[in-house]
Amino acid sequence: MLMQLSIAGISQGAIYALIALSLTVIYRSTTIVSFGHGDFVMAGAFLAYILVIGLGFAFLPAGLLAIAAMFAIGIVFSRGLIRPIRGGPHIGLALMSISFGFALRGIARLVWGREVLPMPRVFDVDPIFVGSIIITGDAIFTIGIVAVLLAAFFILLHLTDIGKMVQAVYQSERGARLIGIDVSRFHDFSWGTGAALGAVGGVLIAPVSFLHPDLGASFLIKGFAAMTLGGFGSLGGSVIGGLLLGLAEQYAGAYLNTALIDITAYLLIILVLLIRPRGLFGRKVVIKV
Amino acid sequence: MHDILLSISDLNVSYGKKAILRGASYDVRRGECLTLLGANGSGKSTSLNAICGFIKPTSGSVKLMGTELAGLDPHRIFAHGVAQVSQARDLFPDLTVEDNLRLGAMRRGSSTAAQSLATTYQRFPRLADRRKQPTRTLSGGEQQMVAIGRALMSDPLLLLLDEPSGGLSPQLCEEIAQIIDILKAEGVTLLMVEQNLNLAFRAADRFIVLRDGQAVDGGDVAAMAGDHEAIVRNIYL
Repeated sequence: MLMQLSIAGISQGAIYALIALSLTVIYRSTTIVSFGHGDFVMAGAFLAYILVIGLGFAFLPAGLLAIAAMFAIGIVFSRGLIRPIRGGPHIGLALMSISFGFALRGIARLVWGREVLPMPRVFDVDPIFVGSIIITGDAIFTIGIVAVLLAAFFILLHLTDIGKMVQAVYQSERGARLIGIDVSRFHDFSWGTGAALGAVGGVLIAPVSFLHPDLGASFLIKGFAAMTLGGFGSLGGSVIGGLLLGLAEQYAGAYLNTALIDITAYLLIILVLLIRPRGLFGRKVVIKV
Repeated sequence: MHDILLSISDLNVSYGKKAILRGASYDVRRGECLTLLGANGSGKSTSLNAICGFIKPTSGSVKLMGTELAGLDPHRIFAHGVAQVSQARDLFPDLTVEDNLRLGAMRRGSSTAAQSLATTYQRFPRLADRRKQPTRTLSGGEQQMVAIGRALMSDPLLLLLDEPSGGLSPQLCEEIAQIIDILKAEGVTLLMVEQNLNLAFRAADRFIVLRDGQAVDGGDVAAMAGDHEAIVRNIYL
């Protein structure tokens, strides 16, 4: 049973890891906590839904198009709505993110109301039996796609010149300007990347759960919980935090009470902030006086 | 007639309502080391930040070989060939010495960057030994070498040095002075802000005194040899 729960937890945690990573990509480069990010996830899922159900695309091209569209929306959001208020109070940036998220949610509600929409199953392959453990097609696809994506992301970040540039901006924005990096454009790119990674989460959720305009809210909290556990600003930590959250939900639901599944993320945030505020991999903040 | 590389005319810069530079005008000649002197708040570092584009001037002109730089973003000014070593150094602490240096040459081709890297290690042999170390593990002097080396990797027309001796021991200040000597010998044009007057007079060819955001005095350091106290009086009194 433990192994079965672990596979379900990792499969769910992989989605949380993606969402937490997408939040962290934006947070690290812009220092903005994207409170509207759950709605990027929702928008990615709905775009895939429109392309598959409304326009008859196959799932793979529909998913890729939805991710590309969310990348473009992230860039346009940054250029059009974040850049003009960048010099203002920091809270304004967070509020802009929330407002934009709610606007996306509002558009989805205008079209679909509060309807719950099913998407046809696309990972409809036979499950694999390993002894008494069943690994479903959904789990194989989700874990496989997220693993490949994360591997590509971290290889790009650590082993390429582009990745070094990204790390440079993360570590010193002024230093990055001193070596000729266009930091404003980098911020736009980060919003695009964050929105696209969130959309990957949405696209992976779409075929395995029901879609509704409010689905982003719960994923936002899961993303925050994963970020908190992994350590704010830690890219690797956000991924590990997401996987641990997925496992914690499954174990708590199976061994303690199923009602705990829904509140594990909240409890985790409270516990981590009380016991180890910097999370597993976050850096200790040193204030010099 | 001197070959003017950078020409600053009637430059005005304000932080909010507080004017820092009030019509400053001076030139930097090709191949020289010019030092800006002045009391705290006289506009020295603001001058460098305005030249680099970190602060937008309210009016006035910053021309590099006739090209107007005032109002451009920092990355565009960098592309024109102006590099700065800032007072805080602004290195990338978790990246290695080599990564920091290579990033300085990011805008150039990889083969040119490789040559620059070899040249930088010749200039600063100690950095070659530390090439795989994160820069946060280096001493202050070594970090300053990385900052100068990183700026030189872009092969700039003009190198701005903001307090290169800041926080360094007298021994390391002497090392910095020797590095500046080497750069001058190689024909690098330098504009330096330096509170350490010994270093400033030791390294610079000319000086400009800024007071209340204006250039009020200036001249050849060599011509003022033995009368540095007069310059000091002009700065502070």
